[in-house]
Amino acid sequence: MTATLGLLCIALAVVLQAGFLLRRENRRDPVSHWLLAAAALLLFATLVKRSFRISFVAVTDTYESLVFFSAAICAVLFGLRLALRTRGMSPFVMFGATFVCLVLLILSSSPLAPKDIQPPIPALQSFWLVLHVTFSFIGEAFFVVSFVAAVAFLATRNEDRRADMDRLITTSIGIGYPIFTAGALVFGAIWAETAWGSWWSWDPKEVWALITWLIYTAYLHTRLVRRMRGRISAVLVIVGFIAALFTFFGVNFLLSGLHSYG
Amino acid sequence: MKAVYSFLKSVRLTIVLILAIAVLSLLASLVPQGRSEAWYRSHYSPGLSDLVRFAGLPRFFSSAGFLVPAFLLTLNLGACAVDRMIRRVTRKAAPRYGPDLVHLGLLLLIAGGLVTALGRQETTWPLAVGEDAALSSTYALHLLSLQFLKYDNGAPKEWTSTVRVAREGNVEIPSFPIKVNHPLRLKGLSVYQATWELQGILDLRDAGGQEVTATTGQGFPFGESFWYFAEAQKARDAWTIVAVEYKGREMRPVSTRVLLAGDALGPYTVAGITAREVTGLKAVRDPGFAPFLAALGIIVLGLCLTFIQSRYGSTRSASTPYSADSGEDGA
Repeated sequence: MTATLGLLCIALAVVLQAGFLLRRENRRDPVSHWLLAAAALLLFATLVKRSFRISFVAVTDTYESLVFFSAAICAVLFGLRLALRTRGMSPFVMFGATFVCLVLLILSSSPLAPKDIQPPIPALQSFWLVLHVTFSFIGEAFFVVSFVAAVAFLATRNEDRRADMDRLITTSIGIGYPIFTAGALVFGAIWAETAWGSWWSWDPKEVWALITWLIYTAYLHTRLVRRMRGRISAVLVIVGFIAALFTFFGVNFLLSGLHSYG
Repeated sequence: MKAVYSFLKSVRLTIVLILAIAVLSLLASLVPQGRSEAWYRSHYSPGLSDLVRFAGLPRFFSSAGFLVPAFLLTLNLGACAVDRMIRRVTRKAAPRYGPDLVHLGLLLLIAGGLVTALGRQETTWPLAVGEDAALSSTYALHLLSLQFLKYDNGAPKEWTSTVRVAREGNVEIPSFPIKVNHPLRLKGLSVYQATWELQGILDLRDAGGQEVTATTGQGFPFGESFWYFAEAQKARDAWTIVAVEYKGREMRPVSTRVLLAGDALGPYTVAGITAREVTGLKAVRDPGFAPFLAALGIIVLGLCLTFIQSRYGSTRSASTPYSADSGEDGA
């Protein structure tokens, strides 16, 4: 019920943002970010309820991960909208990122993510796993913003807008990259060592997390080379986000390994 | 020499190497790692199988295709770190220590990875209650009890192997529950809950009446076949053993039999079947783990410092949280 209400809030926010976008006033609506804040609270409440039922933090299956990811995107959008009052969070970025969030939440209602409450198997009963999953998704929530901003960067020829998007990309990756590094690589490796006695196994999920990290690392280095700033940087951000999505969905459903718990 | 140094510290080289490693890793992730040649032949067409093997993809992460760019990236990282320090000392660079720490942490991480790759030792001990395992010349384990809990839906909830640890013959830890995610840490040695199995034990007699004991996980060749004792199952009040017959060069399973006491299989007759719970305790000695942990701490500290300094610090170029100390190629 709380997840459905959260979904409705996000859908309403998308409609509102689309309406403001279509008016072509480049003005941000004053309501949708509050809807996103409400959605984040409702989605986190969903996870808290499930956590009580499984007696563990509910981030151990695909459904719970998608709900957490969506909640994190809502919270990040709300935070950035408040923090970047004057410039940066353009109506297009808000709309695009909220739309990505809506798609992810709709996916959580699909057969790809069964909603049955499954208590965690022994390998998943670790505080390091909780840190691994939550930090990874919070980092990726910032990557969603950078992805939409990169699309907006490539779509416009207006230099002022490009500068705004460029600033938003670097800010969101500047925050998201350390969080993602801590979550996906650091906490993931410590969890793997505690559970299996091996901190790196070249498991497909690990390899793809590394690929994602390498692409964002390459992006950060393109910022140091003047000729690579701009289009190349933006393309890398888009590729990085696709890699992040594949790390979550593609590896879960197409490649098997230590992260397969089906 | 100067040209080589300039080449090695180039940010462009960093970007090219990072992307090359990413693309190569992507290709390698599509091919299951570490399988036998026969596996690749049976799962891919002959041409693709040859291509995969020629490209070194089956063991890509220990092949030259990965190690060469990784080595070059390490050199590049080292040259960048040295260059930054020289510029810092000669006061040509802004005092931003975050990237320095990240570079240092990554070098330490690579060193830790090398130490792990060369020095990590792993042994798995199958133990039933009451049995002992000599982990090293110093430490020995005695399995006191074994517990396997399940959820209502039958899924595993917890495996617990409670052990007593003796050091040079003296009891050091009277009782320690080893669980998944709760390993036993000894000096330089960790013991993990790795597996649990119901081990079937077969008393076999050959044509001459000689007794042979076999367990699940073992087998024997017979004619062109290989019979493998796969698992023990309880059927009513009696134990049975599932035996699988493999044939051919690629050892494909061709038939299965469920054996009861009194059945004949190849040259043997099954005289009796029993079963017992066996835990698999994995002892790991990894000298690379400590530098790895230190490296992670340094990297995270460096990333946080980079962000804080670029947002709130007095830097000359603050257009981006990770911007260079000076213009092009100034890593």
